[in-house]
Amino acid sequence: MNDLTLERARLTLADAQALITREARLLDEQDFAGWLDLYTEDALYWMPAWRDDNSQTEDPDRELSLIYYRGRSNLRDRVTRLTSGLSPVSRTLPRVAHILSNVELGGMDGDEHVVFSSFVTHAYDPRSDRLSYHFGRYRHGLRQVDGEWRIASKIIRLANDLVPTVLDVNAI
Amino acid sequence: MKPYRLVDLVDDRPAEGVFRVNRALFSDPELFDLEMKHVFESGWVFLGMASQAADLHDYFTTRIGRIPVIVARGKDGVLRCFVNSCPHKGARIATQPSGNARLFACPYHSWTFDSSGACKNVKWHNAGAYGQGFTEEDHDLAPIARFGEYRGFLFGSLSADVPSLDDHLGEARHMLDLVADQSDEGLELVPGRVRFTFAANWKMQLENCSDQYHFTSTHPSLIKVLERRAAGENGAAVKSSLAGADFWKGGDEGIVGGSYIFEHGHVVTWGRMEPNPSQALYSSHTALLEKFGADRTAWMFNMRNLSLFPNAQVAVNASTQLRVIRPIAHNLTEMETWCLVPKGESAEARRLRIRQYEDFFNPTGMAIADDNAVYEECQTGMTGQDGPWLQGHARGLAATRKGGNDLSDRLGMEPVSSVAGPSQLADETLFQGYYHAWLDRMSEVLA
Ligand code: FES
Ligand SMILES: [Fe+2]
Repeated sequence: MNDLTLERARLTLADAQALITREARLLDEQDFAGWLDLYTEDALYWMPAWRDDNSQTEDPDRELSLIYYRGRSNLRDRVTRLTSGLSPVSRTLPRVAHILSNVELGGMDGDEHVVFSSFVTHAYDPRSDRLSYHFGRYRHGLRQVDGEWRIASKIIRLANDLVPTVLDVNAI
Repeated sequence: MKPYRLVDLVDDRPAEGVFRVNRALFSDPELFDLEMKHVFESGWVFLGMASQAADLHDYFTTRIGRIPVIVARGKDGVLRCFVNSCPHKGARIATQPSGNARLFACPYHSWTFDSSGACKNVKWHNAGAYGQGFTEEDHDLAPIARFGEYRGFLFGSLSADVPSLDDHLGEARHMLDLVADQSDEGLELVPGRVRFTFAANWKMQLENCSDQYHFTSTHPSLIKVLERRAAGENGAAVKSSLAGADFWKGGDEGIVGGSYIFEHGHVVTWGRMEPNPSQALYSSHTALLEKFGADRTAWMFNMRNLSLFPNAQVAVNASTQLRVIRPIAHNLTEMETWCLVPKGESAEARRLRIRQYEDFFNPTGMAIADDNAVYEECQTGMTGQDGPWLQGHARGLAATRKGGNDLSDRLGMEPVSSVAGPSQLADETLFQGYYHAWLDRMSEVLA
């Protein structure tokens, strides 16, 4: 990596905020193709489970996660299913609003720029007339690809993990 | 609730080829209260795995019906189960799902209990000016009436008036053996406890685990993804153990699957799966063949969804899942689920098993939420009704044989009845096993 790329790859708080806000909007608008485009080809998408009341699972190869995928094509599978019209729970997608806050730069981790934030998602499911909400923290790892910031990793620490019927990638 | 008689609730006339279930079993809140008392709180239920309290003073908490209980390993190494409620004023003693505690201290007035449930201290006892009545009382945590283990699977009963655990499990033990035999070291649960709820009756879950009929109808969105992956459109996908199997596809002839009913409400549905590298167990294939021979080993690799009435299921298909059913209301159920694994399997096998599990079995995965949704549609559809009779227990009746068949013989297993056939047979008569046990337990209270 030469100096020029290093220079170009400096992430500002405004950049970080813009990207994760955009991700939230694309999910809320159900623009899943646009959402997938935000991720790098090799992206990690990880929502650990809770090991007990106080700690989350840490080693995805020895412990269970709620979701663990490496590779954007896995997220594409999820979108394929979600939008297929063939899934009884997703035939009518819930209407979701992501609320993001507490965005903070977390320095570098390898070649990724870390961004911490807090989230709340509210979902209304017309099929069941059910309201649900989930909340927790995101840790995004951002990388520049062809001059654009992309999500190379997203770790979702879900605080309320008792899942009411369904919780899919559109609502976390 | 109407004054139901059992014959109003289950129409069981084998001589006439009739078996029907009343919608009230799903829709009636008062019937649900009776079930809690007489199905869950008066007979054997599954509690958890011995591995959840592996070391001295380890414990985990669960419920028997509505009653909170602690399963703890005492300093003598013995597992015990007692009601998680303080003798003093009833407070819950252990408040976490699991942990290690030499002493449990009640959060309210600090009475303490050791890991065998014995009361060790009543705070300020000597200055307490207690009367004789109190002195003569037992202050220990109340042990449950019956508690037992079969190969790492723990069960308890609040009533002493039950058969022995071996009798209760009966021939279904062969199915537990097929899981337990996969490792010399026994079984364990992968860390990470996943819970979810669905707004439907607990018996929807009980039945669906044994329901081969629904897979291609409820899960076509998953099948579409499996097809995408088979076509190489997702190079990063985890291998699917279901993709190569025929038992669910509906196009075949001959015997690719079937079901067995055991005594006391336990049932299994199975489908043929040839041992192949998409199964985590495959790395042990040769060793298992050597140890157990071809017949038993073939069974270990088959898809098997086992239900232990009334509240546990071991699903061996896309991965291996232990499910504990906790009914909360007639129209609300909480599920606690775990990835159940043979101890000591290779890191690679463990990773494969976990990835397959998350993809398929989690409520945040690609299959289970669709099951939850259809349960809820049934619940909504049946609201307020106790008729007409449901027609969902009839497939396979004419194919049912008393006793076992050639395939159960290979395990030396003697079920009450069996069905085997092509995948489109999709037997529903195995649900009868549940309702026979249900009738048996409910006969305490209904005529
Ligand atoms: S309720 Fe437990 S010590 Fe008082
Ligand atoms: Fe299903």
